[in-house]
Amino acid sequence: MRKDGKRRNQRGRVLTGVAILAASAFGWRMWLEASGSARLISTEEVGEACERPVPAESPVRAASENLFAAFEPQSVYAQDSRTQDVTRPPLRYIRDSDPIYSYVALDPRRNEVVMLDSNLWSIRFFDRLENTPPGALRTEPKRIISGDKTVLAFNSCMYIDPQNGDIYSVENDVGNMVEVFSDSAEGDVAPLRKLVVTHRAYALAVDEGKQELFVSVQFPPAVEVYRKQASGEEKPLRVLKGDNTRLADAHGMAIDEKKKLLFVNNWGNISDLKVAGTGRFEEPSITVYSLDAKGDTAPVRVIQGPKTQLDWPGNMSLDPETGDLYVANDVGNSILVFHGTDQGDVAPARVIKGTGTGLSTPVSVIVDAKNRELWVANTGNASATVYPLAANGNVAPLRTIRSAPEGKQSLKFGKTQAVAYDSVRQQILVPN
Amino acid sequence: MHGFAYDPVHDEIIVTSPFAQAILIFRGGANGEEPPLRVIQGPHTQIIAPNYNSFDRATVDGVNGEIYVPIAPKSILVFDQQANGDVAPKRRLDGTQGGAIAVDPVHNVLVENNHDALMIYDRTASGNVKPKAVIEGPKANVGTMMTFQVYPPKGWIIAGCGPAYASSLAICAWSINDNGDVAPRWRLPAQQLSGGYQPSGIALDPVHKEIMLSASGQKIQVARPSSGIMNAVTTFYWPEIY
Repeated sequence: MRKDGKRRNQRGRVLTGVAILAASAFGWRMWLEASGSARLISTEEVGEACERPVPAESPVRAASENLFAAFEPQSVYAQDSRTQDVTRPPLRYIRDSDPIYSYVALDPRRNEVVMLDSNLWSIRFFDRLENTPPGALRTEPKRIISGDKTVLAFNSCMYIDPQNGDIYSVENDVGNMVEVFSDSAEGDVAPLRKLVVTHRAYALAVDEGKQELFVSVQFPPAVEVYRKQASGEEKPLRVLKGDNTRLADAHGMAIDEKKKLLFVNNWGNISDLKVAGTGRFEEPSITVYSLDAKGDTAPVRVIQGPKTQLDWPGNMSLDPETGDLYVANDVGNSILVFHGTDQGDVAPARVIKGTGTGLSTPVSVIVDAKNRELWVANTGNASATVYPLAANGNVAPLRTIRSAPEGKQSLKFGKTQAVAYDSVRQQILVPN
Repeated sequence: MHGFAYDPVHDEIIVTSPFAQAILIFRGGANGEEPPLRVIQGPHTQIIAPNYNSFDRATVDGVNGEIYVPIAPKSILVFDQQANGDVAPKRRLDGTQGGAIAVDPVHNVLVENNHDALMIYDRTASGNVKPKAVIEGPKANVGTMMTFQVYPPKGWIIAGCGPAYASSLAICAWSINDNGDVAPRWRLPAQQLSGGYQPSGIALDPVHKEIMLSASGQKIQVARPSSGIMNAVTTFYWPEIY
């Protein structure tokens, strides 16, 4: 709990996903600008804008004058009026026309890389060896799954069955389900089956040996384990949940089938939802469990502390040969690599980070054990980048698949349910 | 995040952190991993978030320096805007419905949007009190959105209209003095005009006489946006309400 009157750097808590956009007051061409970073120009033109006055006064004075003017009684009574429709089209839109990738997966049977998109609500398939040429606008996918029948929405994770290529995907918002598509699915097609899971499910992992499907739940934090073929309202086989688990806003997962271990990363936001005032902010962590853990079971070890550099850790992937754990470190804009045996406040064994890496808000990693490569989904620039599995430091990717022009800076919208207006700076605040 | 607030008087952003039962107050120009100015959190705060959609919105009255947060099941907590740490709320209003709220410091009322109604309370009401007015009914056609606004200089309530949950098909304007089954004065059919976006959040810009609407593709009642892009913020020119 914080001390009165003092600030403290609370990593992971500060970024609540607020993107600050500056909207020009002049004309219909709009600038989208995140403070301190390169500018992004919206290309959306929405037709003739109505003529409107340009304020001569400063924004601060305008806001103040408006406030003081408010104390003059000018209330209206609408009770006896008929409703009148406003028929003007919008002046402007703020939206991203490119995919915003939330996950990358591999299909070794088809030699394909598969991307999950939470902006256009789609799954996109590319050749594994695709490499978007410099100067090209983008690489078009070989096929796309998208449409109302798919019930894809704000999906956050995928799993591709190594035997039959079935595509599992979990919806992170109000969908509350895992959808399973056939390996040949294309277009607006219904999933083969749907499994209802707890609200705020985030990641998937599968124990192929026991044919069990693991689902992480952000809050109340839990890991639910189902039959891999489960569907409908089928209940989980077991649930890992409780204070002793040290789960705290659970996100990415990885399974080590050889050592029978489950790895879960946590953002650290936690409370007892039934007791007022129990909330707290903990350091992000990776908690490690026996693969058959259930109930309120403590982790066998915990990786946590400032040396870890964990900063909104996203999806994870494990190298089955070495046991190394790869973590997409979202706000840290890096890939962290831990030894599977690490615990405590330890630095990662390797860190992929730097301006030459092409990383841009990475949220997902996947190990390609066969080809000894590491894939990353970048939310920040509509791309997937691939590196040698042993990469370390500021390394350039071996290949990049771009779904947007070079230099793209994504809006990173992930469910824009609220909006506020900063009249002092004339900026629109958009959380996601 | 379903709702948050910006206060131009103090130049602050107020947002809740539901999983950690905290209210975070940031500098208006905060950027990157900048810590909040103040954090309201702890046992004395009475903050609890047991349900989906509970403690996921905040509103601020910069004139009176107060932060309002709805909590489940049926209360609104009011904090001093300068509060920090484990502090008790100044007031607690019970018997509310956990919906979005807005404060009009000119008319001194608190408005709650509960499903298909707008409940109007005295701004300083506390305890289990009934609203002084309720706008609801087939003519009123009040909808439900994640956030809505009031425009105190003219006494407008700007909220969703049309059958919906979490998002609406249109935005309407009622008077702060309305009560009962009262038709809105104005209706902006946002979903129809914007190419399919059903708004869930509202922001007002009185200087430019504009309204901004956020949409996220949730709970689509009619059809997907024609653009295929599910997340958007749309700006309309609406001088009539200013």
